[in-house]
Amino acid sequence: MISIDKYAYMSKLKSKDPIQKIIFAILTLGVCLWANSPAISLAVLFIMGWVTVVKGGIPFLFFIKLMLVPMSFLVIGVLSVAFNVSTEPEAFLASVPLAGVWIGVSKAGLHQAVLLFFKALGAVSCLYYLSLGTPMIDLLAALRRLKVPRIMVELMGLVYRFIFVLLETAETIFTAQNSRLGYASLSAGFRSLGGLVSSLFIRAYKRSDELYTALEARGYDGELNVLEEYHERHWTGYIPPLAANAFLIAAALLLRRFAGGPAG
Amino acid sequence: MNENILETQDLCYSYPDGTQALKGVSLKIKRGLTTAILGGNGAGKSTLFLNFNGILKPSSGKLLFDGKPLDYSHNGLKELRRSIGVVFQDPDSQLFSASVLQDISFGAVNMRLPEDEVRRRVDSAMERTGIAHLRSKPTHCLSFGQKKRVSLAGVLVMEPEVLVLDEPTSGLDPMGVGEIMKLLKETQRELGISVVISTHDIDIVPLYCDYAYVMNEGRIVLEGTPQKVFSEAETLRGIHLRLPRVGHLMEILKHKDDFDFNGTAVTISEARRMLKKWKDGRKPG
Repeated sequence: MISIDKYAYMSKLKSKDPIQKIIFAILTLGVCLWANSPAISLAVLFIMGWVTVVKGGIPFLFFIKLMLVPMSFLVIGVLSVAFNVSTEPEAFLASVPLAGVWIGVSKAGLHQAVLLFFKALGAVSCLYYLSLGTPMIDLLAALRRLKVPRIMVELMGLVYRFIFVLLETAETIFTAQNSRLGYASLSAGFRSLGGLVSSLFIRAYKRSDELYTALEARGYDGELNVLEEYHERHWTGYIPPLAANAFLIAAALLLRRFAGGPAG
Repeated sequence: MNENILETQDLCYSYPDGTQALKGVSLKIKRGLTTAILGGNGAGKSTLFLNFNGILKPSSGKLLFDGKPLDYSHNGLKELRRSIGVVFQDPDSQLFSASVLQDISFGAVNMRLPEDEVRRRVDSAMERTGIAHLRSKPTHCLSFGQKKRVSLAGVLVMEPEVLVLDEPTSGLDPMGVGEIMKLLKETQRELGISVVISTHDIDIVPLYCDYAYVMNEGRIVLEGTPQKVFSEAETLRGIHLRLPRVGHLMEILKHKDDFDFNGTAVTISEARRMLKKWKDGRKPG
């Protein structure tokens, strides 16, 4: 998670208007889900991967590593879809008998599994595009512009800022405990972990108090009013996302008509 | 215009749990100077600072800003906090935004200034504190020293008349200490503001401060120019403080090794001058 954040700040797409990026990600995600076709999902995966890696300058291997993260969930999910139980062995392409029934893979099941697999990967790539090319700060700025309630955006901003402080504090406490053999045995480990969590809570509480004092000293009025960051904002930025999606939609419709692809 | 920009008279403050943090503090912060509040841990420095800008309200005693008692009404406090900028010790409790630019702009935006003016002030504060290159970095990727500069810039944008800094040098490396103190001195001179710092870093006081108050257990025990304060070596040692290293050396040379110095020297340049004079005095003829 931390490295995603780091890469987002390094991305060459950082200066682009965050609203355009949100629209691109969500629109493509929608098309990927609607098209319901492995080919379109693959196309989405390639487009998003290309934009993120080539246009954004994210290392290819890192992107692949991230794509592998949802793989374990995905494989389990897909297997449970692919395999079916039936009393008729003829329904399956391949099957094994077990306790009077047959467990196997049917053609429809296999198709469904492949579809699900690529659809999920395509959808995930859309979200990676957004999170690897848009720092949280810009995302929050976009949410503000999109008139999301202020209190929510402010809370998200504070949570984002203090996650790092909290992690750092937890790490320091953990190192201090570990260097005094706090995790040498299982029981000691549980005791240390308890101490870590409770002191983390107390420190967070104290810190929130200090933060409030410091904000007050700078004229806090109940709202975190700040300057907006500047982004390249031009209507031409909407062209590539719209063109890509128009292409995807057209391709999906053609596939349905000529290749007899599955109806939605 | 009052000669004392900030003044306290017999200021007392007790925390809700009954701890008496300030027990009758009377001090005068002179306009346009750098004043140090020296004291060990728990001497009451931070509590005093929170009384300065009305975050804490004294249990008894008086605070005067520019000769007038503090106005604790909503608008009075707003005006006061704009005029007295406090930079806190731990930048992680002051920086609330992940964006350096947004955090610095906060105080100026709260003053309801036009956007152009806010941008101008943010730019000039970043320039002054030497962090213009960190503009698009997220707060959590900065070093401790950089965070300290960002929190200083976040207060400078309000263009306060008094800049109050709680332990501005704590946690910095020797180079960082020198840099931040020079920066403060420059800021104080160029903007003509008054600076108050709390510290237990003895060695910076004679170098950068014009006046010093020494606090112990909620009381002022010594005050005067750094020269005068550091001539009271025994009092300082009694309250967990010490002389600047150079001052200590000169004291040993004078009292234990019978060097016949006149007066005291607490900085390197003073000591150098004194030793040169002593050498010249020894030359035959």
